[in-house]
Amino acid sequence: MDTDSAELVRLTLLEGGASPQLVASLIPSRPLEEGEQYRFHFDMTKCIGCRSCEVACNEQNGNPADIKWRRVGELEGGVYPHVSRTYLSMGCNHCISADCLKGCPVDAYTKDPITGIVMHSADACIGCQYCVWNCPYSVPQFNPERGVVGKCDMCRERLLDNREPACVNACPENAIQIEIVNKIAWTEDYSLAESPGMPAAGQTISTTRITLPQSSTAATAWLDRVDTGSIALEHAHPSLVVMTTAMQASFGLLCGLALVRNVDAVSLLLLLLVTAAALNVSVFHLGRPAYAWRALKMWRRSWLSREVLCFTLFFGFVAAATLCAWTPLFPWHLSMQRLVSPLAWAAIASGAAGTYASASIYLVKARPSWNMVHTPLDFFLSSALVGIPLLSVLARPALIITELLRRHGLEVARPHFTLYPRLLAITACLWIVNQLVRVARLRVSAIFEHRASFHHLRGEQLWWCVALSWICALQAILFLFAPLHWMALLSLLAATAAVLLNRYLFFVSVVPLSMGLTFIRDRGTHGRAAA
Amino acid sequence: MSFIAKKNAATQRANATSEERIALARPTLLQRLTRWLGLDNKSSLYRYAHDPRFGYISESRVADKWTKTTCGYCSVGCGMLIGTKEGRPVAARGNPDHPVNLGKLCPKGLSEHLIVEAPGRATQPMLRRNGRRSPLEPVSWDEALDVMVNRIGYIQQRYGRESLGVISTGQLLTEEFYTLGKLVQLGFRTSNYDGNTTLCMASAVSGYKLSFGSDGPPGAYADMDTADVVLLIGANIADNHPILCNRLRKRPGQLLIVVDPRVTKTAMMADMHLPVKPRSDIALINGIAHILLRDGLIDRNYLEQHAEGLDAFISFVADYTPEVVSETAGLSVAVLESVAGLYGHAKSAFIGWTMGVNHSTQGAMTVAAINNLSLLTGNIGRPGSSPFSITGQCNAMGSREASFTSSLPGYRKFESAEDREELAQLWNVNASELPAKRGFAYPDIIEASVRGEVKALWIIATNPVVSFPNHNLLKQAFDTADFIVVQDGFYPTPTMEYADLVLPAAIWGEKEGTYTNSERRVSKVNAFAVPPAEARSDFDIFLAIAERLGVRDRIYPGWSSTQDAWLEWQRVSAGRMCDYSSFTWQQVEDEGGIQWGGERLYRDGIFPRANGRALLHCVPCVPFAEQPDAEFDFILNTGRTVEHWHTRTKTGQVKLLDAMVPNAWLEMNPVDAERLSLRQHDRITVTSRRASVPDVELRITGIVAPGQVFMPFHFAEHNSNLVTLGDFDPISREPNYKQCAVRVERTSWN
Repeated sequence: MDTDSAELVRLTLLEGGASPQLVASLIPSRPLEEGEQYRFHFDMTKCIGCRSCEVACNEQNGNPADIKWRRVGELEGGVYPHVSRTYLSMGCNHCISADCLKGCPVDAYTKDPITGIVMHSADACIGCQYCVWNCPYSVPQFNPERGVVGKCDMCRERLLDNREPACVNACPENAIQIEIVNKIAWTEDYSLAESPGMPAAGQTISTTRITLPQSSTAATAWLDRVDTGSIALEHAHPSLVVMTTAMQASFGLLCGLALVRNVDAVSLLLLLLVTAAALNVSVFHLGRPAYAWRALKMWRRSWLSREVLCFTLFFGFVAAATLCAWTPLFPWHLSMQRLVSPLAWAAIASGAAGTYASASIYLVKARPSWNMVHTPLDFFLSSALVGIPLLSVLARPALIITELLRRHGLEVARPHFTLYPRLLAITACLWIVNQLVRVARLRVSAIFEHRASFHHLRGEQLWWCVALSWICALQAILFLFAPLHWMALLSLLAATAAVLLNRYLFFVSVVPLSMGLTFIRDRGTHGRAAA
Repeated sequence: MSFIAKKNAATQRANATSEERIALARPTLLQRLTRWLGLDNKSSLYRYAHDPRFGYISESRVADKWTKTTCGYCSVGCGMLIGTKEGRPVAARGNPDHPVNLGKLCPKGLSEHLIVEAPGRATQPMLRRNGRRSPLEPVSWDEALDVMVNRIGYIQQRYGRESLGVISTGQLLTEEFYTLGKLVQLGFRTSNYDGNTTLCMASAVSGYKLSFGSDGPPGAYADMDTADVVLLIGANIADNHPILCNRLRKRPGQLLIVVDPRVTKTAMMADMHLPVKPRSDIALINGIAHILLRDGLIDRNYLEQHAEGLDAFISFVADYTPEVVSETAGLSVAVLESVAGLYGHAKSAFIGWTMGVNHSTQGAMTVAAINNLSLLTGNIGRPGSSPFSITGQCNAMGSREASFTSSLPGYRKFESAEDREELAQLWNVNASELPAKRGFAYPDIIEASVRGEVKALWIIATNPVVSFPNHNLLKQAFDTADFIVVQDGFYPTPTMEYADLVLPAAIWGEKEGTYTNSERRVSKVNAFAVPPAEARSDFDIFLAIAERLGVRDRIYPGWSSTQDAWLEWQRVSAGRMCDYSSFTWQQVEDEGGIQWGGERLYRDGIFPRANGRALLHCVPCVPFAEQPDAEFDFILNTGRTVEHWHTRTKTGQVKLLDAMVPNAWLEMNPVDAERLSLRQHDRITVTSRRASVPDVELRITGIVAPGQVFMPFHFAEHNSNLVTLGDFDPISREPNYKQCAVRVERTSWN
């Protein structure tokens, strides 16, 4: 009953008794030449939707049940009985111009020079998940158990051994094959990569060739995704909600301090504390926080690296400015106060660049409702919306600390603060208008993902959150105009709540580009979408 | 339970989501800290290694030993290799040498190694000491079996031997079916014994008997490779028998015609899809016969030599003109003419069917009608030519042949004194101990329990609470029964809510014996794991019960393993149609299974009827019983999906499969949805005259016809059998799952 004979477990390879034609049709029989790479070929006319490939892939890679590097989707079209239902089975498309690779701040991705396979290194990865946002096919998936991303590597090691990838091997209909493609010829004409249910291939030049059913009948001509009625909310990324809000507040505050010529030691110290907290929080967005420093690596290419770089510089300049501002108190009488202002302006410049880089992270084609001018507008307006009341609110502790220091004989500049209700009112109005226009544009957009984001926002799970966010923004103005004590603090709280809520909505309501999935499926932990 | 948790930690890891894996790991403080900081302390679990035979693969799937076996899900009967590492299952692969599947497996098979150590296994006998309201408590095997034998003995003494009903399955080994049959008939001495195979293949059995005089699927899978025309009627093999699909669409010129009211995955594969109205298949088949006769596309020679009843048949189908059939079936005359012409002109034509035909009050007769077409054209007993039932469960065939349910072991007839005498001699018992007629079939056992005739029930490896139609009646039967024993590999199953006693059984992978697949291929099933905790193989349980009944030496003389049962079964089946005597376990294993009766039956055209001729039946097309009306305006159709198996006791335990399809749904045509103002993913309630199923996810899709709705039957949580009709085929006793009248409304929560 047991067996140890070597020929028992083999693939449909030649030595396994498979016909040469079959093997040749499943994996390439010749080595790659200059300018060529491997690619998947998926034959939709052969696929029966059995999903063996999905199981085989998870078994091959030892992945958890909820992480599938190969996924099967359904397409449907037509009118009974002339109706067509076909399937898509997709791993990674090993794009010629891969966006996952371009965005990666740590250079964890490489396009293998031998095979053209887009490979991901779990060792290099810090789990920032920027590739997840960048890929138009939602191919890279974050594995919370490991804290890193993972994706299909076309079973590269198996291919190099002349063995079929697990999905190719498992498919009972031989609907998945590995082929050789000439990269230049394919870049010139990639029309065979296009399919209903798939994002346009041109963005990254997907290499997967898809054989579609003949579009002679109306049913196949109308093939479309079936999963669009149940798109789950995306992850809220709470640490990013807090970090972006806090960094924008810091930047806004520093701008305010500089503009009112009040870059005093105590205010700077408070600012430094806010910035330090924000940067620390941001690290816990990463799957592997200890390696956060690696994110600086790809500043020439990745907006995420640039954001990290700019905000690190911002922190450095603020810290230096703070230090300089405090030098008069040091016993050796080496006053460097002259440097405070230039350092503060340097910090402002890097803060502006950082805020811009931060916004640019979200300007990715694969996430259409982020990829709008409203994102950078929102980031800068939010800086002002929180920064202005923060400026007022910090007055009290700054004054108290200053008085305390003076009482102890330490001569520090006395900060002076005033409220700027009109400025805040204008900012808050602009902020709300920006949101209103964004939502209106999402609603009327021709892009499905935009409309789907709109449906998320007005759905039963989120509509109250949207309303609350806007009400908070209005409250931030109203509080400031009310003739009461502590109104600045209330205004700050309202403004912060508005920005935090709005940022939360920004993350959860985005609908990424993705291949069409199945109608019935586990919708994960992020909950169901409101229709 | 903790024992299991400990033993299974690694495999549970393989059968878990990422969040569950994090919870499973129970990290130390240091590990928590390093993980929090972001050091990759899990990388060793994601390493790859080089399996000497499979090549590069996750290290967790590298096996140190491979065991040949046969898949325990459907009856395609795929050959498998299960890889174990240090005695624990880590991988499932198709056996490339096995003639059935040539190395391929469906998603259930590819993950089948995970069910052995799945969390929901039954591990100890459980007893309710104080009636159904009291909880199930663990007891020893001794106490469990004593209680079982005493309670059943008391009930039988008081109400007669026939007050025990036994409902078994298609999931056991052939050796176990044989053992169980003897135990029930010669130990407990009740004939009220049937398998859940009556919910699935009974109509095929009866249909074969009607036409050919005996059960036994005449064809082979190879016929699907070579046939010119493959006609599939009510068979969605792409979902239910996916590995058979790769035999189709291969040979240039082969034509695949699929008859199904729903545009199934299989219909999508077809060259021609015939979207018939529900239960108009008989009209279609008779209509084809009409055209064949009219155009002379019949094998007159074959009919003269090997069939009878032609004259009556000719006059009967005269009424089934293309115009009449077109009206009944909802197909155009041109399509009917074309299909009949293609079938009639084919050099070899194969007709396959599954539940679309069997799940009907006219199932047996529909099978006879299909057989008519094969006989008329002489498409039987030749390569590529056969009427062929594609069976459901991995060993439904073993149950049909070796158990005591639809016939005496070895396709012997209850009614035949000669057969009873022969069997009695083989067993060295008195022929009067063998029943002269079949006892109650499955639905009749349930109805007898409602009437109070059957007082004790022994349910083995089946889950009627989800699978039996018209749940309310079943509930009444269970509530009325005095004593219910449920024997299963999983705990708890929905049926165990009614159990007074639960016996934990070993499952596939823990037992050695044989399965017989749809094409009569006897394949070897091997053990690669030991049963969890106190679970025992069904065979051991049967022997232990026989011991307590004091019949062990008499009915199982000298038996200690399933091999002994096999050897006796070989002697009992020798010379019968299903003759197992000509091959050994070893041969079966080495050759990737052996078909009893050879590649196909009836090669000589001699049929096991009195005169050796097959009979053409006149099969009237009668509309199904519960037609839609103003109040219940939809026809409900039920079926399966590829990711799940039957009532999900197994596939529900495989996280990957469960996550693929975690809940039931109802398919409805867009036209109807618009009329009812329903939207995609709405939660709806399906109501029939019997009950309603609330909170089902609505799927609006063009693959079902207007006026029809479809629902999968796998889900206990959304049990389609609450609403299905308890109406049964008068011949086969198979339930009519496929058509009943329902209405659909948005679920309201007040």
